[in-house]
Parts: sequence; structure tokens; C-alpha cells
Amino acid sequence: MLKMNNISKVYQTEMVQTHALRDFNLHVDEGEFIAVTGPSGSGKTTFLNIAGMLEPFSAGEYLLDGIDVGKLNDNQRADVRNQKIGFIFQGFNLIPDLNLYENIEVPLRYRGIKTAERKRRIEKCLEQVGLASRAKHLPQQLSGGQQQRVAIARALAGEPRFLLADEPTGNLDSLMARQVMELLEQINRDGATIVMVTHDAELARRAPRNIQVVDGQLADFTLYQGAQNLKNVAGA
Amino acid sequence: MLLHYLDLSWRSFKRTPLVSFLMVLAIAIGIGITMTSLSVYHMMSADPIAHKSSQLYAVQLQVMDDGHTWWTSDNLPLQLTYQDAANLYKSEIGGQRLKMVRSGFSVYIDSDTVKPFSQSARLTTPEFFNMFDLEFLYGEKWSLQQEENAAPVVVISEELNNKLFAGENSVGKIIYLDDASYEVVGVTRNWPLTIKYYDLNNGSFNDPEQLFMPFSLLEAKQLGNWGNTNGWKHEDVRSFSAKLQSEMVWIQFWVELTNEQQKNDYENYLLAYMQEQQKFGRFNRKELAYSIRDVNKWMAYNNVVSQDNKILVALSFMFLAVCLANILGLLLAKFLRRAPEVGVRRALGASKRQIFMQHIIEVAMLGLLGGLLGIVLAQFGLLGVRQSYSYYESLATMDLTMLLSAPLIAISTCIIAGLYPAWLVCKTNPAIYLKSQ
Repeated sequence: MLKMNNISKVYQTEMVQTHALRDFNLHVDEGEFIAVTGPSGSGKTTFLNIAGMLEPFSAGEYLLDGIDVGKLNDNQRADVRNQKIGFIFQGFNLIPDLNLYENIEVPLRYRGIKTAERKRRIEKCLEQVGLASRAKHLPQQLSGGQQQRVAIARALAGEPRFLLADEPTGNLDSLMARQVMELLEQINRDGATIVMVTHDAELARRAPRNIQVVDGQLADFTLYQGAQNLKNVAGA
Repeated sequence: MLLHYLDLSWRSFKRTPLVSFLMVLAIAIGIGITMTSLSVYHMMSADPIAHKSSQLYAVQLQVMDDGHTWWTSDNLPLQLTYQDAANLYKSEIGGQRLKMVRSGFSVYIDSDTVKPFSQSARLTTPEFFNMFDLEFLYGEKWSLQQEENAAPVVVISEELNNKLFAGENSVGKIIYLDDASYEVVGVTRNWPLTIKYYDLNNGSFNDPEQLFMPFSLLEAKQLGNWGNTNGWKHEDVRSFSAKLQSEMVWIQFWVELTNEQQKNDYENYLLAYMQEQQKFGRFNRKELAYSIRDVNKWMAYNNVVSQDNKILVALSFMFLAVCLANILGLLLAKFLRRAPEVGVRRALGASKRQIFMQHIIEVAMLGLLGGLLGIVLAQFGLLGVRQSYSYYESLATMDLTMLLSAPLIAISTCIIAGLYPAWLVCKTNPAIYLKSQ
């Protein structure tokens, strides 16, 4: 699904050169759920931005679903992003003027999906995140957890094969964070590949595979068999 | 997608009503002023008889002897002598032709209610009505026989007919011009003319005359000239007949030439005519000169649209540019404040082109609203012009072309002003804003 080979990202200013990622290698298979952890400034978000094609990389090779991202122009990257990737952000990033229905509709419009099909998908996604009755509400009329569920519904509406989540529970209390995590696990079971950046070690442990980024490089690699297995180990 | 962009534009307008209204107002003021001056210019420079303006030619002859100069660009007098006009009129060369001069009378009828008033008149040959497309409400033009016999007949305008006869069919009725009675033979329909192109001597934008009479009455009744009479050498013109035989220029002459061959033939004829006249001691020149100009060239030659008007239009466009510079600043502030939302849209799959289009449509909508409000302001501007100068009454109006042009100019200029802000916002790096929102 995702192959990064020797990816580097350098931010250049007049005075300083900062290596946000250096020789970063990662392979993610279809259907995986990966948690990315690491200290602040380690390069987690840069990795996620490059994975989501929101930023160009300085060197290396990045293949997404077999497509060589480095060779795409801006319009092609926008198309691939729209077709294959769903984003979930820490700050939800809902558009304040649009109601829930319209927010979820945004990526579908850019894809050129017809009105009836858009309606079907939006209603299904709102149902899936338990907010079907709030379709006409504006984001500011919802709690943080509800807003994040809307953001998840927006990411799901495009039926992406690849979900990128940047601290999806960072602004939520523990109860809401758990609900959102359960929702992501359900989405993963339904077949989507998920890469989630998080600071929360407990949340990371729920992901079957963890990677740690330190100083722009993959520092550690731990394969969990799943949350249940972890519990069993702890219990033993 | 267009409807969606329009919807987003309208939402954006409602989100920041004050800034949006200020932008619309700035565009409206710029458009209002531009359209006011442009409308006047448009009406001034419009072709007054588009379907045949290239077939009607004003004739000029270089009647002056060598050594004399005129104030025109090619040194040619603007009018003809009476004898030249008479001779050219008699010729069979070319199509329809006419000779004419402006005169005037005090007008009255046998009525207790209509007071006598002064009114200018056009003494002309009957071809005038065909050549310049006048239509008749009642009756018709005078006949060639009446023209030859200097019959006391008159054609009046619809407006004058309303004034004198309350709009009734007045054919056969008598009106008094100075101390003589004339029979009405025709009433012309209103002749909406913004430029008095057929006689530019006494004001290009004056209204056409409302009395039309046989040219032959000029000599028969020794009528006065209300137009210009210009001499170029000393002559004894104390009697009317001396004036008719003089080298003074005071008669306008037009000919209709429908094709290039006819035009060439006519030019050859004019040259031959002047050579013939040289035998009588006239046209004492080494090089004979003449000119025939069609309606549009005639108006340009006579500087109907003055340089001042052109400068005024240029200044008003500069004012519009200043308004647009302000709008550019406001748009920059408005669009860049929206960068985080643009970041989200880019992350969700919007291409730069789609973001660019969304913002350009928003700018176009502001332009449309500004253009519509600008039309209203332009109406006030034109009203002010009309009330200040009666001379501009028929010119200070907006025709359909100008009404349609106003929103188009507003939209296109706004799009030009919006290109930079829209380009700046569409190349926003989404990653910067997604984390910080």
C-alpha cells in the first residue's frame, strides 16, 4: 500500500538547514493499522504530510498503491489524495460555515460524484458515526468528540483505502478518545489501511503495529499481535 | 461546480458583510463614474445612420484661390457656395443628392391658445427625407415641381405638430412663418438623433430642425441664413442676389454614392466641374482640391468627439483603476484570512485550479453586484449631466449596449484585480494550516 524508500525532507531557510526526515524507510501493507509515536519535533507530522502528499519530499522514493508520488504534478497529487486518502486531524478542521452534511460533502464534490450518490454516502457515513440526526447542525453546535466523528465521517465518505490520522484524539477527553479509537478500529476491520500519529502510548498500544520516529528516522519497530494479545501477556 | 462556487461566494459575502459591501461600493463608484463618461462618449461617437453611413457623402470643394487658408486640417471650406451647390445639384452624376441651409422664422397659427414662437427651419431639397431616413406620420414631402416653383409648403415635425395642432392630422392646414402663410404637406415622425451629423456647423448635438421647406424659397423669398456664412476674399454682397453669386460658402451639400464605381465617377466629375469653372475665372489654383467624406469620416473630420471627452473617459478609467487597487487590498486580506480553510480543501482533494476558480467566481460575483449598483449610480451621474447641460440631453443616456457593458466591465476588471489574491491563496501550502487550525 505505502512504500517509502530513503525519504528525506529538508527545510531550508537563509540561515539554517533542518532535516525533518532522513533516509526514512517504511512499508505499510494493505489493511494494516499503524501507530506512529515519537517525541515532539521528531518528524511525525512531516512524515504524515508527505504520506498524505501535502508536502513534497527532498529525496527518496514514495510509492502509494503502486503510484510513484514523486512524479505527479499538483493536480495529479490532488486527484490521488482525493481518491485514495482520508484525513483525520487533531483540530478536526471542519469548515465552520458549512453544516455537517456539507462538510462531509466537500471531498465528494471535488471528486465529481453526482448529487444522489453524494447523498447516499453522506447519510451512510453520518449513520456510521452516530450523527445522522445532526446533519443540518453547524460544527460549533457539537462537542469536540462529535466534531471528530464528523471529521471521520468526512474521511470515510470518499471510501478511501488509506486513512491518515494526526493525533485524532489529542483534543478529546478519555471517554471520547476511546469512542473515536473504537471507530477507527472498526474502520480498519472493514478494510481500510490506517496510519495514526499519536503521543498517547496507551492508544498506540491498541494498534497492531507501532513505529517510533526519532530525529527524522525510524527508531524502533514493535509488532503487537493486537490489543487483546497484549492484555493476555500483561495478565500472564 | 459553478453553482457550488456561487453558493460559496454568497456565503462568503454573508460571512463578512461589511468588507464585502465596501468592495461592492468601491466597484460601484468606479463603474458609476466610468459608465457616466463612457455613455456620453459612446453616444457621441455612435454611428447615427449605421445602415447607410458609408453611402452618404458630404461634399467639399476648394473654392479659395491660391494663397488663402482655412482652419480645417486639409484647408478645405466646410460648406459650398450657392452657385456650386446649385450646379452640383443639377448634375445627373451620382445617386440622390441634396443642398440645404439652416434658416428660421417666427411661427404662429390662427389660434388664441398658441403664442408665436421662434423656430429654426431647414431649407432643403425633397431628397433630404429619403437620404436621412425621415418617416412621415401624415402626408408626404413636397414634390419636385413644388421645389422648382418655390411653392409655399412646409413639412413639420411630430413635436411641432403636437404643439400647433394637438397631434391631429394637419396636412392642408396653414401656418404662418414670419409674415407669409405656408401649407403643411407632411408631418414627420419623431427623429431621434443624438448627433446632428447632416449639419455640424452650429452645434453637433443640437436637436434637428422642426420645419422643413423647399430650398428654392431661399432665393424666392430672400430668406436669411441661420447657419454660418464665411467669406475668404473681399466681395460686394450688399444685395441678396450678390450673395447668391458670391464666393462665400454657406450651403451644405450631400450626395448618396452606393458603390466604389459611383464614388470614383463622382470624384472625377467634381474635378471636371472645377476645371470647367476655371474658364469663368473661378478656382484660381494650381492644384484643384475637393473632398467627399462619408458620415463617420465627416464626424471625425469635424471633431464631433472632442479631445476633452477622450481625456475624460481615460481619467474615469484611471479612477476605476484606483477603486480596483483598493479592492485588491481588501481581497488580499479577505482571502488570506481564509487560508486555513483553503488548506483543508486542498487536503480533501481540491486542486489549485479548483481553489483558484472558487475565488475568481467570488470576485466575479462582487464585480456583478458592483456593476449593477454602478448602473444605478451612473443613472444619477447622467441625470446630473442632463440637468447641468441641456446640450447633453440626448447624449447623457445609457443605451442597451452600455447597460450590458457595465456589468461586463465590472466583472472583467474585478477578475483582473482578483487574479493576484486568488493566485496567492491557491498556492497556499495546506500542511502549514492543518496543524495550527
